[in-house]
Amino acid sequence: MKRWHIRDIILVTIIAIFMGVIFWALGPVYTILAAALAPMGLQPLANELLLGIWVMAGPLAGFVIRIPGAATLGELLGAVVEMFLGGIWGASTLISGTLQGFGSELGFIFTGYKRYGWFTLFLSSLTTAIVTFVWDLFRNGYAAYHLPFLLLLFCVRLLSIFIFGGVLTKLINNLLVRAHVLKD
Amino acid sequence: MATVTVQSLTYTYPKQAHPVLDHLSGTFPTGKFSLLTGVSGGGKSTLLKLIAGLIPMSATPINFDGHPLSAITPTQRASTVAMLFQEPSTQFTMDTVENELRFALENQQVPAEEIADRCDAALNFIGISDLKFRKLMFLSGGEQQKVALAIIVAMDSDVILLDEPFASIDPPTRLILLEKLVALCNDRGKTIILADHDLSGYQQWVDHLAVLADGQLTLLSTAATRERFAAFTPQRLQLTHVQLPNDQLTVCLQGTQLGLAHGDRQLLTPQDLSLYAHRTTLITGPNGSGKSTLFKALVRLGRYQGQLTYRQTDITKIRKRRYARQVGLMFQAASAQFLNVTVAEELALSQKYGDHAYFTPTRIQQLLQQLDLAGRDEQVLYSLSSGQQKKIQLLCMLIMAPDVLLLDEPLKGLDYASIQAVMTILKTVQQDLNLTLILISHQLSGLDDLVDLHLTLADRHLTYQGVSA
Amino acid sequence: MNPSLKLALLVLIALEVSFIQVWSINVALIVVSLILMLLGRITWRRLLWLTLVPLFFSSALVWSLMLRSSASTHFLIVIFTRLFVYVYMGGWFTLTTPPLWLTHSLEQNAKLPSKFAYGFLAAFNLMPKIQAEVATVRAAALMRGEVLHVWSPRLYFKVILAAMNWSDQLAAAMTSHGFVEGAPRTHAQTVPLVARDWWLFVGSLLLVQIGLFVGLP
Ligand SMILES: Nc1ncnc2c1ncn2[C@@H]1O[C@H](COP(=O)(O)OP(=O)(O)OP(=O)(O)O)[C@@H](O)[C@H]1O
Ligand SMILES: Nc1ncnc2c1ncn2[C@@H]1O[C@H](COP(=O)(O)OP(=O)(O)OP(=O)(O)O)[C@@H](O)[C@H]1O
Ligand SMILES: [Mg+2]
Ligand SMILES: [Mg+2]
Repeated sequence: MKRWHIRDIILVTIIAIFMGVIFWALGPVYTILAAALAPMGLQPLANELLLGIWVMAGPLAGFVIRIPGAATLGELLGAVVEMFLGGIWGASTLISGTLQGFGSELGFIFTGYKRYGWFTLFLSSLTTAIVTFVWDLFRNGYAAYHLPFLLLLFCVRLLSIFIFGGVLTKLINNLLVRAHVLKD
Repeated sequence: MATVTVQSLTYTYPKQAHPVLDHLSGTFPTGKFSLLTGVSGGGKSTLLKLIAGLIPMSATPINFDGHPLSAITPTQRASTVAMLFQEPSTQFTMDTVENELRFALENQQVPAEEIADRCDAALNFIGISDLKFRKLMFLSGGEQQKVALAIIVAMDSDVILLDEPFASIDPPTRLILLEKLVALCNDRGKTIILADHDLSGYQQWVDHLAVLADGQLTLLSTAATRERFAAFTPQRLQLTHVQLPNDQLTVCLQGTQLGLAHGDRQLLTPQDLSLYAHRTTLITGPNGSGKSTLFKALVRLGRYQGQLTYRQTDITKIRKRRYARQVGLMFQAASAQFLNVTVAEELALSQKYGDHAYFTPTRIQQLLQQLDLAGRDEQVLYSLSSGQQKKIQLLCMLIMAPDVLLLDEPLKGLDYASIQAVMTILKTVQQDLNLTLILISHQLSGLDDLVDLHLTLADRHLTYQGVSA
Repeated sequence: MNPSLKLALLVLIALEVSFIQVWSINVALIVVSLILMLLGRITWRRLLWLTLVPLFFSSALVWSLMLRSSASTHFLIVIFTRLFVYVYMGGWFTLTTPPLWLTHSLEQNAKLPSKFAYGFLAAFNLMPKIQAEVATVRAAALMRGEVLHVWSPRLYFKVILAAMNWSDQLAAAMTSHGFVEGAPRTHAQTVPLVARDWWLFVGSLLLVQIGLFVGLP
């Protein structure tokens, strides 16, 4: 199995920072969306809609670097960067980052770091959605919600993660393969 | 102290049909300054990386005083051979100059109590003690190269390799750095191998030029060397046609009390500035004076003080998408410009949105021929050499044919023949399409025919140079 | 306090707070972090930012829970204060811990392999370049007649290529500056780890546990 070299470590960190920067370029969209949905008590929905972009660093790092732990490290580092840049979630980003990363890592673990295609991406989206959702049941008190609303939240989350962490990641991967920087 | 010998070196990039270096042999003697030149894509960078051990090779026919590189322990390598890279900003690990020096010495396991003294001595030797506590990211390219050199001095490496270290360095700084290098050769017996296209300033130090062509290395005779240098003598670098602007010119971009700053450092004190349509304007100025910052302001990528108008309309009032098509920028880094994967795709994208009436497929093929890039349609852009990338980048932006085309160091890393070709193309297209060209360049050779107006940025002020018409 | 221990303390407390529902402990942690931040001379603007943003998100979340669940008032208060604990503790940590010092400590005290410590640092120090690159890529596309959105694969493609390029260059430069993976190095600056750090660490954790025990309904 491949080991971590200095180049991979730098690469995963730069990718994580890039994803953070792109996400924060989006910052106003998030706030506006959250503010618009808040009066109806739908603020968590804003979270769910955009979560996909936020957790993209994981699958992307996993696809580009292909070393066990890449997805986890990618997300975790994204969280560290965010904390030092004065992100609003403070200490808990470190925990959420690890869990989000581990969620997508599970998808790669289940396929033994051998297959890098649609199946892995779908699996990884699913595991990310489940792991992060369980965490939010506790952290954000989601467990208290009525069941239909809870289901809605989960479906929106899964869809968002699948679109960004799955479909978009695959399209990016295709481009990288064509540029000969990644193996198919 | 080490003499570098290369015996029958052949190297082929993975998945490539032809070797870049083909049974190449050569000697770089200790205490000597060796200058390496050759066409774009000839393999200079490849050779230097191989000597530095940065491209892994199983059995390297490269010896340092008879010892192969692989026989030198990894921890001793840095004190044997060190490299100064072309891109100044991506060669540091730490945040400040002092921390980077410490980092390098810690790697060599220098005892903690000696580190501070060696840092200071190295900074002193290069003459940049005042930069000690500055942040590396916010230094100008020239200053970053000086720091990189100071680190090599501190590490006391025997062989120093430099890959186009002056590509984005202003002429005065270039001379200072060159003197430091020669001092390292003479006083400390270092072996220096330097690759460069721009041969100005080397005459007095170098008697034999090494040329890399067709995978082979040839040492030119003294006469042939002198002939090559002749194209870069100071007389050839003068601008003879520039004039001061007159009333007949139309203003296309106008700055009113235009000022530029980074943080609390003022780069341009507020002043009025006119840039003229259908002419070629050259902007020069020292490293870090703010030329690129000015271009970024002009394309709305950076902040500025005062007001900027394009054809009498405030540029912030024009829709971003429209404005981007009127005023285009050829970035300092070639790869920043590319959006696709292969050369053909990149050109096709430009043709789709650009001036396709003028740039017909036949014309484009002809231009590619002129630039020595024919037959590379399917090559991945990112595997081209730096000079080849620069030429494709220029072509892409020319095909877009924006009314105003800003060019940031368009000649960086180009060989002499390419510069001639680029100049001819720029001149023809500018006249045929009546474009406005504004360019930043440190390297002046070949520019004389193209340039009409000359702006210098010095002491935080932009002034037109030349005689009045 | 030693940065590595401080980080461990922060994560442990944040983890505990996420699962346990005692609002008095939350408030106590908020007050302590606030005092520590004030002692660390936080600017008013930063403090305001650290207060207003969680205020909005906390309120919105609580409001949503009020409408769409039958949670008790006690639970709502816990959720409301929890976010402030995270943010204030994170604020105290970043205010008092320079990233360079933290990595030095992780390398020297927590025995993080030096390739990770310096790999992270090299990338972090590229931050201004990374931020500028996103804007550059989008502007370059506009000049070529294309608009790149957050959902455009090309935006990420370009960004990853830049990342690969820079990581190649940085790795080569580190090698050239004598860095060898796994090789021993000297340290010009050593981060102290003394008994006092351990006392502070264990003491703070104990205090939180006692607080939890007392506060549990
Ligand atoms: N990673 C790579 N994969 C495949 N081909 C490559 C790679 N890097 C370089 N090449 C090719 O090898 C040749 C030599 O490249 P190199 O960068 O050494 O040239 P150079 O002499 O330094 O050129 P320049 O003066 O433009 O910098 C070029 O034709 C280039 O396209
Ligand atoms: N993002 C930034 N933050 C702070 N300072 C910066 C930033 N970008 C550039 N600078 C500084 O602003 C100054 C001007 O930079 P600029 O790139 O415009 O110089 P330049 O004239 O183009 O130099 P060169 O000839 O080396 O390209 C430099 O000293 C640089 O270090
Ligand atoms: Mg080169
Ligand atoms: Mg510049």
